[in-house]
Amino acid sequence: MYIIKTSCISPQKTHDGSYANDIISYNGNKYNAIEPDYKGLIRPAQLRRMGKTIRMGIGAGLPILQDIERVDGIILASSEGGLEDCIKFLNQIVDYDEGSLTPTNFVQSTPNALAGNLALMSKCQAYNMTHVHRGGAMENALLDALLLFEEKKADLLLLGNVEEISDYNFNIETLAGQFKKEEVTSDALLNSQTPGTVCGEGSSMFLLSNNPDNALAEIMDVAQVSFPHKEDILDFIIGFLSRNLLSPEDIDTIIIGKNGDVRTDFWYDYVCDELFQSQNQYSFKNIVGEYPTSIAFATHFACELLAGKDAPEETIIREINAPKNILIYNHFKGEQHGVILIRK
Amino acid sequence: MDKEQIKKELIQHIIEYLNLSDYTTEDITDDMPLFGDSGLELDSIDSLELTVMLEREFGVKITNPTEGRKILVDVNSMADFIIANKEKADK
Repeated sequence: MYIIKTSCISPQKTHDGSYANDIISYNGNKYNAIEPDYKGLIRPAQLRRMGKTIRMGIGAGLPILQDIERVDGIILASSEGGLEDCIKFLNQIVDYDEGSLTPTNFVQSTPNALAGNLALMSKCQAYNMTHVHRGGAMENALLDALLLFEEKKADLLLLGNVEEISDYNFNIETLAGQFKKEEVTSDALLNSQTPGTVCGEGSSMFLLSNNPDNALAEIMDVAQVSFPHKEDILDFIIGFLSRNLLSPEDIDTIIIGKNGDVRTDFWYDYVCDELFQSQNQYSFKNIVGEYPTSIAFATHFACELLAGKDAPEETIIREINAPKNILIYNHFKGEQHGVILIRK
Repeated sequence: MDKEQIKKELIQHIIEYLNLSDYTTEDITDDMPLFGDSGLELDSIDSLELTVMLEREFGVKITNPTEGRKILVDVNSMADFIIANKEKADK
């Protein structure tokens, strides 16, 4: 499975590709997306009705579909979709005693609204799927695409993620201790040594093909495991590599999802200390924050590394040589662990 | 509430409900067409939003879709509908 094109909206200026030399530092526990000017891409009448999730997803997905005659499917990953609109809609049901409700919040209230909107705007009547398995949604979306290509049911797919910071999920997750109580700058996040992380959002989109022509990268394999024991994670990664006829020594670069939460970052230290002591090592959540499908940003980041672009200094943990064979290892809350194998 | 006051409030609610962030209250005139190729150029989803807005903010309900076409013409016609229905309710 090959990545032909990629596009990304994130808390950095990724939408125009200028972020690497101009990283935005954050202070606090919300990293809001830097959105592009959507005029020219989305009609004003549509834009004014769009919630942030739909706006970001269309803003990242539609440019990829321009100049493409057709895709054989649209596959999205989103843990919660447009939660802000969903909560507004549910509150209206209560506030107005199940009376007349506004359609705008309703049509954007489900996670699959983005995939539907992308299909309508690109006139794609083919396969349309949204995966919502929290921290495993992106891995499952990729697996879906791998299977479609393997079964020869598709030649070209649009696949991506979207996640927004809504007041609702931010407040609930804050009460649950997911985010830092103290103010930490993004520069100090990974060494903060305190519980909690920072909340991020964004959308990364990929045009995937079964044809290697003009490919930016190849996604060789993807796997996901839920609630592993610490001692099982090494076997999981070694097994994943060996089914692709690789060993840890064949990997020259690892991108890890360290997020500064002292309670769960030990997974990354353990995996890197045991298996990847001398490889390039990069982080990404210190520039875009944590969210359930953030591995999609890591995949976008991997494509940029493989294209020979310089990694932002803030993401470099160890840099030895040019990345060629990349393993992305990420987990969400220490519960859902995912790996993606990607190479030039 | 007199008609001028109703029209003023209507314009504010139209901007708010339809998220017309490019418009100020001064930009929308009483006789500006809501739908069609001129004026605000609203669409069918907007008409549903306006119907809900009339019910929530002014307590008047459009029950007949054909009737809606005559009511949702411009701010003037919407204000007339509100006044007529309020008068009916008061009687």
